[in-house]
Amino acid sequence: MSNFSVGFRSSGHVQILDLKGELDAHTASELEAAIQKCQVNRQVHIVINGSSLMYISSAGLGVFMAYIEEIRENGGDIKIAALQPKVYNVFDLLGFPMLFDIVDSEVDAIGKFEPSNA
Amino acid sequence: MAEIESKTVFLKRWTSRIARRGLPLLFLSLFGIGLIPSIGFHFIELTSGKPAGTGTEILYYACVIAAFGSLWIWMKMFFQDRRESPLRLLWSVLVSGLFLITIAGVTARFGTISAAGIDLPLGFSPETGVPLTSPTIIKMMVVSLAQILFAFLIIHRFQQLVLVKRTRSSQRNWYIMLTLMAVAAITTITKPAGDAQNEWQDVAFIVSVVFMLVNAFKLSWIVFLSFKEKVATIGLCFVLAVLLILGLGIGNSGVNILVPRSFEYLEFYFVPLASFVKQASIFGILYCITAFLSLLFHLPTTGDYEQREGERATMFSMAHLVSQVFDAEKLFATVASAPVVGGSADYSWLAMPDHQSGSLQYRVMSTHNITKERLTEIINSDQIIEELKISRVPILVSRASTDHRMNLRSGNDKLGSLLVAPLIAREEVIGALFAAKRVINGFERDEVGTIGVFAAQAALAIDNARLFEQQVERERLSREMSIAREVQLRLLPQNVPVMSGVSMAASSVSAQEVGGDYYDFVRLGEKKLGVIIGDVSGKGISAAFYMAEMQGIFQSVSRLAATPSIFLHYANVALAESLDRNIFISAIYAILDLDKENLVIARAGHCPAAVIRLNGEARFIRTKGLGLGLDRGELFARSLSEETIALQPGDVFVLYTDGVVESRSADGEEYGYERLLKLLAEHRYDDADGIHAAVLRDLRGFMAGEEYDDDMTLVVLKWHGIPSDSFISREQALHELA
Repeated sequence: MSNFSVGFRSSGHVQILDLKGELDAHTASELEAAIQKCQVNRQVHIVINGSSLMYISSAGLGVFMAYIEEIRENGGDIKIAALQPKVYNVFDLLGFPMLFDIVDSEVDAIGKFEPSNA
Repeated sequence: MAEIESKTVFLKRWTSRIARRGLPLLFLSLFGIGLIPSIGFHFIELTSGKPAGTGTEILYYACVIAAFGSLWIWMKMFFQDRRESPLRLLWSVLVSGLFLITIAGVTARFGTISAAGIDLPLGFSPETGVPLTSPTIIKMMVVSLAQILFAFLIIHRFQQLVLVKRTRSSQRNWYIMLTLMAVAAITTITKPAGDAQNEWQDVAFIVSVVFMLVNAFKLSWIVFLSFKEKVATIGLCFVLAVLLILGLGIGNSGVNILVPRSFEYLEFYFVPLASFVKQASIFGILYCITAFLSLLFHLPTTGDYEQREGERATMFSMAHLVSQVFDAEKLFATVASAPVVGGSADYSWLAMPDHQSGSLQYRVMSTHNITKERLTEIINSDQIIEELKISRVPILVSRASTDHRMNLRSGNDKLGSLLVAPLIAREEVIGALFAAKRVINGFERDEVGTIGVFAAQAALAIDNARLFEQQVERERLSREMSIAREVQLRLLPQNVPVMSGVSMAASSVSAQEVGGDYYDFVRLGEKKLGVIIGDVSGKGISAAFYMAEMQGIFQSVSRLAATPSIFLHYANVALAESLDRNIFISAIYAILDLDKENLVIARAGHCPAAVIRLNGEARFIRTKGLGLGLDRGELFARSLSEETIALQPGDVFVLYTDGVVESRSADGEEYGYERLLKLLAEHRYDDADGIHAAVLRDLRGFMAGEEYDDDMTLVVLKWHGIPSDSFISREQALHELA
């Protein structure tokens, strides 16, 4: 019944997670598992591609909060890209743009990593 | 009508009674009626001194056949429903046989005619076969009857033994034998008494004997006997065989010394009957001999058999497993000990995943005759269990000392062989039952089977115990959840405050028993009111705890905070300590000041409040601000901003949680901000209650029976613009205008 999935891609040293479907309290654990997997593989440069993410609930947003601190401590970051307007609105209402780099395209997001790792 | 019915019932009862009691009586009388003329026939011969004519002879044959046919049927009825133990049965046959042979033996020896020169021990004329004296006839009758009764008894009684565990073929063989015996007997009807059988008669006789042999090996009842019973039965069979050989004998063989010339008497009475008795006697002897030998061979293995049966019985008795479904620990102990208690093993133990600690790692739950510590030393259970999960059939280690999964060099427990049976319930391996013996190659194939079957049953019992536990746990949880729900409902305001010139309405529903939505009011002065709405991220019990914490913070801190943003800052600091990293709370805090006629509002990541003016202007108040707990330092404070709205009469303020705007229709469409704003604008003339009700009504219509997926809270405030006591409702105003 889960209508949420995470796809893994990489571009250079950046791990791209393609989120698809609806991220809510029931499916949050799948994103958690995906981010944990990145951590295990020592990939701390993570781009979330939200072009196919149709819905996000507060529990879904909580996943980002749960890991961001640790990833940043390890010199990495989570950048969020290509969100649907409605989903962006949810991020925006909570003030996520103040906490995360949220950009329009995946390329921009990957670009944001470049200077620190040049 | 009733009369007829009662008559039918009456008739039926009588027919069944006649069938039950009357029929045997009828056949017994038929026997008597046939017997008397057959005796009379011999007296006629005695008085006439010459053999009877053919017609009379045929009549005689008919009488005898009818008489003994009836006797046969009567005996069949008599013994039909008797089910006795083989021992009792043989004993009763032996006693009856002894009695009959004694009567025959005594009669045969009594009053023989033996004058000098003539040797006529039977008393029949050697030329004509006619009886010479009346005692001869009586002797003949008594000796014959005793033998016939004994022979019939043998057949009828042994039938029960032969047909133990009856199959179609065993039953067919039995009736074929009886038929052949009858045929062989009838073929002798032309044979004069005392003569030898001709070839045809011999052939019929031999065929009959062949089927006797077939039936003589039907000895299934032997295996069910205990050791003592077997010994007793051996004795009985032996004595009975001897009695048959020496009493009934086998024809003219001369061994029937207990009743001299018994066969000849019979032949003088009726040759086919003599033949039948001879055959019955042969069958009896054969059967007793095969039983005797078979018992003799079975005797040494009876102990093993009984032990095995005992093991089986212990292992298979589900009753003691089922009764322990309510006590899992005890059940584990019973299952673990079963192989040892049943006598199949020297040590045994049970390994299962530990559900209480939540670990899926297998743990030894219960042991018998061996300690858990010792086990972990000598055996690598995990590896065996992994194999078991794949194979799902019992694993047998015949020589434990050379197995790579064991470490038996240390210690002095002698562990020779090991058997591991999987516990499978609902297609899943839920555990493993280990049984070990001190000797190598200790487990026989049937033990592997028995322990395997037991393990399967134990798995069911354990699975049931688990289900039961879960059910109890679920009920307990649901009780506690309903208590939690009541507590949470008490954390929300029971009534909206009453304030002159302001109407208010509020409600909150949770998707589950408890939720993370919060709203509250605080009186900050006679004309000053604080109102808050909050939404804890996530749902259910964890959200409910933070909601309760939020309520505590609000009730204690709100009065100390001069402005909404100061309150939110305090709240953020207070929550920082306790909030999980992935949990945050969105909130809006507004202070309504009727003296200053304004509303000051600050938003911490929450869905923006809606404001609707009387002129139809409707908008969301989207001030900046992070959700509570998203940042625990300065960023939060810096992110906050306030908006002050000068009140105009008719202003409506609506606070809500995302559950409202994210409600979905059956086709998955979201309710949305636009629709909410439009609806509020349409109802801007209503008071707070009316607007509140209109929104809920519209939501219900929109969702059309879909379940609430999220907690949903709605707070409506309306400033009517007419301060203090002069406030009248819209209905009143309209009424006065009219």
